[in-house]
Amino acid sequence: MSTPLQPVNNSSNRVRIVVATSVMLTFISYWRAAAIVLNDLASSAFYACGIAEQAIGKSAPWFIVGVMLFSFTVRAVYVESCSMFVRGGVYKVVKEALGGTLAKLSVSALMFDYILTGPISGVSAGQYIAGLLNEVMVTADAHGWIPRAVHNLFNGTPQFSVNGTSVAFALAVTVYYWWENIKGIHESSEKALRVMQITTVMVVVLLAWSAITIVKTGYQSVPLPTPQNLHFSKESLGFLGHTFPEQSLARMFGLLGILIAFGHSVLAMSGEESLAQVNRELAHPKLKNLKRAAIVIAIYSFVFTGLSALLAVMLIPDGVRVPVYKDNLIAGLAMHMYGPELLRLIFRGFVVVVGFLILSGAVNTAIIGSNGVLNRVSEDGVLADWFRLPHRRYGTSHRIINMVVGLQILTILASRGDVYLLGEAYAFGVIWSFTFNSLAMLVLRFRYKGERGWKVPPNITIAGTEIPIGLASVFLVLLSTALVNLATKSVATVAGVSFSVVFFLIFTVSERVNRKKYALAKQQMKDHFQLLQSDTVERETLRIRPGNVLVPVRDYNTLSHLRWALEKFDIQDQDVVVMSARISRFGSAAYDLSPDQIFSDYEQTLFTRAVSVAESFGKKVSLLVVPAGDVWSAIVQTAKNLESSAVVIGESSKMIPEEQAFALGQAWEALPEPKRQFVLQVVHPNAHAETFRIGPHTPTMKDEDILLLHRLWLSITREPGLENVHHHEILTEALTRFAREYGARERDDILKELKRAGTSSRLPGVAPGTSPPPLVRKEGGGSFPEHES
Amino acid sequence: MISLLGVILVRILEGMFVVGLAGSTVVLLVTFVEDAELLLGREESHHSQAS
Repeated sequence: MSTPLQPVNNSSNRVRIVVATSVMLTFISYWRAAAIVLNDLASSAFYACGIAEQAIGKSAPWFIVGVMLFSFTVRAVYVESCSMFVRGGVYKVVKEALGGTLAKLSVSALMFDYILTGPISGVSAGQYIAGLLNEVMVTADAHGWIPRAVHNLFNGTPQFSVNGTSVAFALAVTVYYWWENIKGIHESSEKALRVMQITTVMVVVLLAWSAITIVKTGYQSVPLPTPQNLHFSKESLGFLGHTFPEQSLARMFGLLGILIAFGHSVLAMSGEESLAQVNRELAHPKLKNLKRAAIVIAIYSFVFTGLSALLAVMLIPDGVRVPVYKDNLIAGLAMHMYGPELLRLIFRGFVVVVGFLILSGAVNTAIIGSNGVLNRVSEDGVLADWFRLPHRRYGTSHRIINMVVGLQILTILASRGDVYLLGEAYAFGVIWSFTFNSLAMLVLRFRYKGERGWKVPPNITIAGTEIPIGLASVFLVLLSTALVNLATKSVATVAGVSFSVVFFLIFTVSERVNRKKYALAKQQMKDHFQLLQSDTVERETLRIRPGNVLVPVRDYNTLSHLRWALEKFDIQDQDVVVMSARISRFGSAAYDLSPDQIFSDYEQTLFTRAVSVAESFGKKVSLLVVPAGDVWSAIVQTAKNLESSAVVIGESSKMIPEEQAFALGQAWEALPEPKRQFVLQVVHPNAHAETFRIGPHTPTMKDEDILLLHRLWLSITREPGLENVHHHEILTEALTRFAREYGARERDDILKELKRAGTSSRLPGVAPGTSPPPLVRKEGGGSFPEHES
Repeated sequence: MISLLGVILVRILEGMFVVGLAGSTVVLLVTFVEDAELLLGREESHHSQAS
C-alpha cells in the first residue's frame, strides 16, 4: 500500500524527486537467513574451546555450553531490536537511546568486532590447514613415502611452520576477499546454504562417530565448572594476575572465578549480531520467520559448538589436546575417533575443507560488515565523505574497504598466527558490542514508543510502568562479563580501548568537520530539490505514463547511457525516469534507511549531474531513489511497478552486456506474477547499444529450422482433411510432444542430445548444471528497441 | 582501603552476574516455550508479549 506523499516543501521551481522508503529486496527463507548467520556463528566452534581451555583449564567445555545456552537470550535481544520499526543505522539507533558519545563508542566496539573477525577466522583456517599438512607429512614419512634425502635435509619429517603458514593463508584469503569487495562481487545466500549443508554433514558424522568411539573406547570425564576445577593461566588473569597470586583469585572469590571463566568463553557466541543483518531480507511473515531462523541458529550452534567442545575434552587425551590441537581442536577430535588411521585422516581432511569454507566465508563477512557499518556511519555524518567516494571503475566504497583490510592485515601480522592472542582481543569487540546493543534496547524500552513486534520476556507492570526484567537480566550478565574482561584480558583491553579511542576520535573530528558542510549541503538540497517521500514506487506518484523508459544511474561520472536514452527517446511519447538504487546489503541492513540516508549527498550530486544532462537536451526527466538490497531486483521491480517498456543501463565494468542481461533476467524470473516483458538496452561508452528482451519472447529461429517447419507443413497439408493446418499449429503439436517426452522417461536422452548437438550454448560465466538461463533474448546490436505496447 | 574497594567492586560484579543469570534463565525458559509453540504452529494465540 502506498502512503500519501509527504512533500518537504511545496516550492514548485525545484526538481521533484520521489524517494521510495520501502526497500526492494529479494526475500529469502528463514533457512537461508539462518545459514548466513551460522556461517559466522558456527565458525567460532573451530577455535572457541581451544582458546577457552588454554585460559581456564579442562572444564572449559561446560562454560562453552553455558555460553551457548546464554546465547539463546542474546538472540532474544536481537529479535526484539529487529522487531522495532526504526530507521537509520546502528549509530542513529544507539544515539537515539544513549546519546552521541556512547553511540560512537558502540560503533567503535562493533568495528573492532568486525575487523577482528577476519584475522581470527583466516588464521584459524590456516592452523587447520597447516596442522593437516604436517599430519600428512608424518604419516607419509612413517610409511617411507618421503625420500630419504628430503628427510635428511629437514633433519626429520618435513614440517610446515604452523603459525607462519597460518599467517600466509590468512593474508592470502584477506587479499582475495579485499579484491572481490573492491570489485563489488558479493556472495549469495545460496552459497551460505551450501556451506551449511556441507557443515551439517560434517557435524552429523562427527557426532555419530564420537558416539561410536565413546562406546568402543570409553571417554574421560570433563571436570565440572566449579571454582576448584578452574586453572587460570597467567595470561588469563590479565591485570589481576599482577595484583594477586596466580591461583588464589578464583579461590578468594569463587563466583568471580566462574565469571572470569565465563568471560573467557563468550567468544563462542560471536557472530550472533549477524542475525540483525539478515532481518530485513526475510520473507513474509517477517517476525515469525526471524524467530524461526533464530531457533535454527541457536539450536545448531548449541549442538555444534557446545557438543564438539565437550567431545574434544572427552576423547582427545590431555597429553596432546592443548599442546598439539589447541588451535585445531575439531581436527584433533577427528584424529581420535575409533577406526583405521586412513579413515581418520580422510575425515580430518573433510574437517579442514569445511573449516576452510566456513572460516574464509567469515573473513568475507567481516569485510562486508565493516564496510556496511562504516558506510552508514559516514552517511550519518560521523565519518568524512572522503571515505565513501566510489571507486572510479567499480563504484564501491574502496577507501573504507582499503582501510578495513589494511587494519586486518596489520592485525594478522601483529598476531604472528597466534589464535589465542587474536581470540582474547576479539572477545573485547564481541562482548562490548553485545553489551551496548542490550543497553540501547533497555533504554529504548522507556524512550521508544513506536511499533515493536516482540519483547524479551518476562515483563511486569508496576504502577503503570513496564519493567523489562528479562532484558535487564541479559544486560546485567553482559555488562558484568564485559567489565570483568576489562580486568582479565589485558591484551584485549589495551588493543580494544586503543582501537575504540582512535575510532572515537576519528568519528568526533569527522562529525565536527561535517556539521558545517552538511548544513550548507542541506540548504543547497532544499533550494534545488523537492523530496517526495513515498512508501512504494508507483507510476501515479511520479506522474508518468505506462510504457516509459527507466534509466538506472549509479556513478555520476558515467552517464553516457542517460545521454543515449535522451537522444533516442522522444519524451512526447515516452517519459524518461532516472532511477538510483540505494543499495544496503547484508552488513548494513540491520535497520531500514531513513529518507535522509536514502537521498544522501551522493545522490544529490548524482541527480544534479543527471538533471544537467537532461537540461542539455532540453528534456524533462522524472527522478526516483529506491532503497534496495540488490540492484537487479530493484531495477526489475521498479520497471514492473512503473510499467516501463524499456530499461537503459550503462555497460558494467565487472560484467559483459550478456551477463548484465542474464542477471537482470534472473531477477525478472524471481518476480511474482503478474509481470510484463521489457526491452533492455546496454549502452557502451561509445554510444553503441546492445538490445535484449527480458521475459518470454519469440525465439530466434535458424533458417534451416524455418525450412524444416515449412517442409513439414507442405507434407502435412497434402494429407486429406489437413489442408488448412497452419505453421503455428505444427509448432504447437511439436512442442506439446516434446514437453511430454521431456517430462517422461526421455528427459535424459533429450538433454544428452542437446548437449551433443551443442545447442546448450551458455552465457559467459554460467556453469553447466546451474539453473536454466532466464528468459533473455539478444536482439541485433545497436538497433533501436522494438517497444511493446 | 584499595583492597576493600576491590572486594566491594567484585561483590557488586558477582551480584550483577548472579541476578542476571537468574533472570536470563527465566528468559531462556519462557522463550523455549514460545519457540516450541512456534514450531508446533500454536503461536498465534500467544501474543501477550507484543505491544
